[in-house]
Amino acid sequence: MFHNSNFFEPGKSKPERSFVQLAVKQNQRLDGRRSNESRDVELTFGKDWGSVAVSMGDTKVLAQVTCEMGPPALSRPNEGKIHLNVYLGGVAFLDEAHTTHDQRSLKLNSLLERTFRSSRSIDLESLCVAVEKHVWCIRVNVNVLNHDGNLYDASTIATLAALMHFRRPDVWYKDGELRIFKKKEREFIPLLFHHYPVSVTYCVYKSSVQPILDPTLLEENAADSVIVLSFNSFQELCSLTAGGTAPTNARIIMQCARNAAVRCKSLLNFVRKALALDEECRSQGDQSVDGLVALILNTEHKLSYNKLMGRQKQEQQPPPSEKMQLDNNESSETPVANEEPSKEESAGAPMDTSDWLPHDEDSQELPMRSEASPSKAGLKGKQSRGKYKANKKTPPRKQNHSDSEEEAKRYI
Amino acid sequence: MNLPAKMDVEKDKLRQMHCEFNPLSRCDGSVMYSQGATGLIGAVLGPIEVKTQNLSIDGSYLECNYRPKAGLPQVTDRIREAAIRDVLELALLSEAHPRSKMSVQIQELEDRGSIDACAVNCACLAMLIGGLPLKYSFAAVHAIINEQGEYVLDPDQSETLHQRASFTFAFDSVEGNLLLIQTKGSFKIAQFNDIECLCLAASAEIFQFYRNQVAKYHGRSEATAKKEDVNET
Repeated sequence: MFHNSNFFEPGKSKPERSFVQLAVKQNQRLDGRRSNESRDVELTFGKDWGSVAVSMGDTKVLAQVTCEMGPPALSRPNEGKIHLNVYLGGVAFLDEAHTTHDQRSLKLNSLLERTFRSSRSIDLESLCVAVEKHVWCIRVNVNVLNHDGNLYDASTIATLAALMHFRRPDVWYKDGELRIFKKKEREFIPLLFHHYPVSVTYCVYKSSVQPILDPTLLEENAADSVIVLSFNSFQELCSLTAGGTAPTNARIIMQCARNAAVRCKSLLNFVRKALALDEECRSQGDQSVDGLVALILNTEHKLSYNKLMGRQKQEQQPPPSEKMQLDNNESSETPVANEEPSKEESAGAPMDTSDWLPHDEDSQELPMRSEASPSKAGLKGKQSRGKYKANKKTPPRKQNHSDSEEEAKRYI
Repeated sequence: MNLPAKMDVEKDKLRQMHCEFNPLSRCDGSVMYSQGATGLIGAVLGPIEVKTQNLSIDGSYLECNYRPKAGLPQVTDRIREAAIRDVLELALLSEAHPRSKMSVQIQELEDRGSIDACAVNCACLAMLIGGLPLKYSFAAVHAIINEQGEYVLDPDQSETLHQRASFTFAFDSVEGNLLLIQTKGSFKIAQFNDIECLCLAASAEIFQFYRNQVAKYHGRSEATAKKEDVNET
């Protein structure tokens, strides 16, 4: 088969593969990492909502979320739409290579579809404005900037961070009349999530028993098998991809699954901390937000996985302050307290997820109250508030109950 | 919302420029370029093998692509891409590498005004750092006439909402000749001449920025070489 010499990739030639496999047999990697050690993840949020750049070592991915109002699908008239697109062309110079002998874009698209859509991570019913007439269509564009292996993890983290960062305009609908508010009129609304999936990639070699976490392009091309596992914050498996030629047994996959669940949880905590820091930066004003230009300007204030997780370890030392914070959250509002124990009882949710959701509610309710003060705006505010609450309450509970039932069955 | 950012800079001055060389590892040369809050990534690859249908015996084939941040390229992106290709074809010394291909890719990061001129400057820096043969370097400047009739050089996105006319000029570095003119709106010829002189003066600042950044980039490698020499002795 014709191999285009223009787009050379490491790990395709036989001596390189033999060298890498011999190194893995001796428990060594070419960049000095251990087998369960991953590269540092850096997040940079853009000026626009839903814009994020992710870099894992030399692998760089840019994600942008956009939304538009349109008619729903005929088969599901009360659900919004979500489209996930991955582009390998552009500055990554991967488009000609993938048309000849690789199908990376198809694999990446398939992984993102199964990780985010098939696992129902986003509440699509909350994106419905008028049944059979108007629904929100969310479109995620993932641009690969540089490919140094492990595009799966980078694109999944970029998609998750972009969707969590995204805000959509508020909508008012009455008697067939639709009005979309602008940024100055009313504050934008974040998306609703059922759970937050992240993927972790392993490489398996015939010459070694130990799988390798977060492979580079050289290791990925020289590997006999690639295993991609997607877990959410509740450590539930969302998708599993095992391709290649090495016959992997159940013990290796279970070992990868256990390590991947822990790593996905810490990755999600990192994304949440990065989002909180970005929120603080935005609240100070638009001048302090550098956007994606911060990739050039600030090399010291980058949102890095090692830095934030290192801070978390320090934060864990004073436990009483955390307890006080939790008590304050519980005592602040009764409906929040009502929701928290049900979630805890059903799925045993970690405290981080329960901490995250009340903040969203608090931030959303405040502008509603201010809008209610004028008489005319009061009517609109009341209607939109009621609709929002009605949309918000019922679907998550159903989903949570079904998840908990499945978990109970599995345990039995 | 972005008015304070531009008000810090005077109307007849460019916004602050920054660039970082070789952020990407797979291409021959890449640059991350920002002008104010507008940012782009440019990457070049070449000379490389060309397809038979694009083969040219007396020169190299130039491929130029511009990608927006969201969605597929639209008509405006294709127009922008054609403008960049026109400037590159004028500046590129294609006779040096016949029967080959040069590929230039521009990826948009943030669009906060003057994206056309920033894309041309990004392409020039990428070709300089990628080592493609050029006859001269080039610089592009964007200017508008706002609703009060004033000339604004390198406007922010908020200032272009109620503009009367917009201009994009590209100049070469040898004699200051015009390589590209793009205009939109209504204006007088006297205004056009004034804005051209204003942009020509601003392009000298951009050429000086090129020289400083490339010298700084190679200066680091020289320092590294000196350290290696000291270690060897």
